[in-house]
Amino acid sequence: MAEMWIHMGPQHPMTHGLWNLRIKVDGETITDAVPELGYLHRSVEKIGERRKYFMNTTLTDRLCYASAMTWTHCYCLTVEELMGVETPQRAKYIRTIVLELQRIASHLMWLGAYLPDLGLITGFLYGMRDREMFLNLLEIPSGGRLLYNYVRIGGVKRDLPPGFAAKAERVMQTLEQRLKEYEDLYDNSKIFRMRTDDVGCYSASDAINWGITGPNLRSAGVAFDLRQADSYDAYPELDFTPVTTSASDGISDCFSRYRQRIDEMYQSMDLIRQALAKMPEGEVMADSVPVRASGEAFRRTEDSRGEALMYLVGDGTDRPYRWKIRSPMFTTVSASPHFLKGYKVADVPAIMGSIDMCIGETDK
Amino acid sequence: METGKLIQQLGKHKGTSNSSALRSNVGCISVTPEASSAFFTALKEDFAFDHCSLISAVDNQSGFELVYHFSIVGESGQMLEVHVDLPRDTPTIDSITHLWGGADWHEREAYDLMGIYFIGHPDLKRVLLPDGFAGHPLRKDYVYEIHEEEW
Repeated sequence: MAEMWIHMGPQHPMTHGLWNLRIKVDGETITDAVPELGYLHRSVEKIGERRKYFMNTTLTDRLCYASAMTWTHCYCLTVEELMGVETPQRAKYIRTIVLELQRIASHLMWLGAYLPDLGLITGFLYGMRDREMFLNLLEIPSGGRLLYNYVRIGGVKRDLPPGFAAKAERVMQTLEQRLKEYEDLYDNSKIFRMRTDDVGCYSASDAINWGITGPNLRSAGVAFDLRQADSYDAYPELDFTPVTTSASDGISDCFSRYRQRIDEMYQSMDLIRQALAKMPEGEVMADSVPVRASGEAFRRTEDSRGEALMYLVGDGTDRPYRWKIRSPMFTTVSASPHFLKGYKVADVPAIMGSIDMCIGETDK
Repeated sequence: METGKLIQQLGKHKGTSNSSALRSNVGCISVTPEASSAFFTALKEDFAFDHCSLISAVDNQSGFELVYHFSIVGESGQMLEVHVDLPRDTPTIDSITHLWGGADWHEREAYDLMGIYFIGHPDLKRVLLPDGFAGHPLRKDYVYEIHEEEW
């Protein structure tokens, strides 16, 4: 049969965000794939060069609509490294708590987006319903539900109000019950398992070489978590080990990537509880934050989707001379042809959905 | 391997200079473009840097600078920052995609936005901007065209 190219995107139910996947098919089998990006390119790095350091937190919020907090945090951490600002201890704990809340909200959004890809429409409503509880929690200190601008250079905008811990605990207990329901519902669902087991496989060594990071790498059994390896904020004081899953020894498939994110939500709740219990009293903002900076600095953090890295060069003015962002999905999407080849056209939504794409940060 | 020991060993390579430790698990070193290919091969094969985190291109006006961030996937979180200075009129360097597959799109992005040419890259074309776009907008001498359309 003659081979032909099919465009999936830029307007396609499979693409969460605007991007285009060109696939070459032989019958139903994918023989080649070319991802094409740029539809959402806003040139954040260039805009950032014209704005003062503290103004850029509004841009970083918009890098990823599902995980705004983690991106602003990565930027603030890098600027603090560049300027030599020390964050107060309480602010570090608050950051840890909101980051983990954001991670759960992001993973729930992924769950809600992934299940309709496989034909389970109710999964979307379940995921969004539970995410709402976490948006309510994030709204308490920040006032925002999607874009927070809460983490600032030198600390956080304001303290957590009294009673936050009790509210968070109630929400987490509800989520624990519901996650158990979802595990019963999806792990044992024959339809779900047929769509995800042994689909979109890659090995741990390949994933490392291709630059895949975060949950997508840990789902191949690699215990690599930057919260531990690059210890920032309050993570060194919390007791945890990276969670991993794998389909078989050192192989990741769509189902293990689903399991990985469910397990990470349990781990995030554990981290929030530990941080809330250990949180010291004190200030939440550094006494003074410089306006100008020179030299260069980089920091990397564990974003909800993998390794986020920012590199900043300052030239002594109040604006960055060069600002470079590493988005985890940019690299993961570049590797997608490797784990699409050999599967069927109908597997494309299952595979591309399972890596948790966010085009906002991919296109920058 | 400790960062101090690592940069000491790396400093013995041909073409390297300015080795220092940025943090307890982060080293920093400069290398010339001519010696970069052999240096990166050694980094991958002898020093087990299995992950290419990021390639950033910086326009220093007098020339370009490439900043590579490599890391080891492991509990130590060991990282290395490598600086390579490139001349302004011929910003070319050997590609490292055959060593780290993840460097592929980072090199394409550096070509797209900053106009750095990577020799030996399998498919060096624009990645974020459309084909046919003129110029490399992250260069400091890039001039914006302002389109004022009549309505």
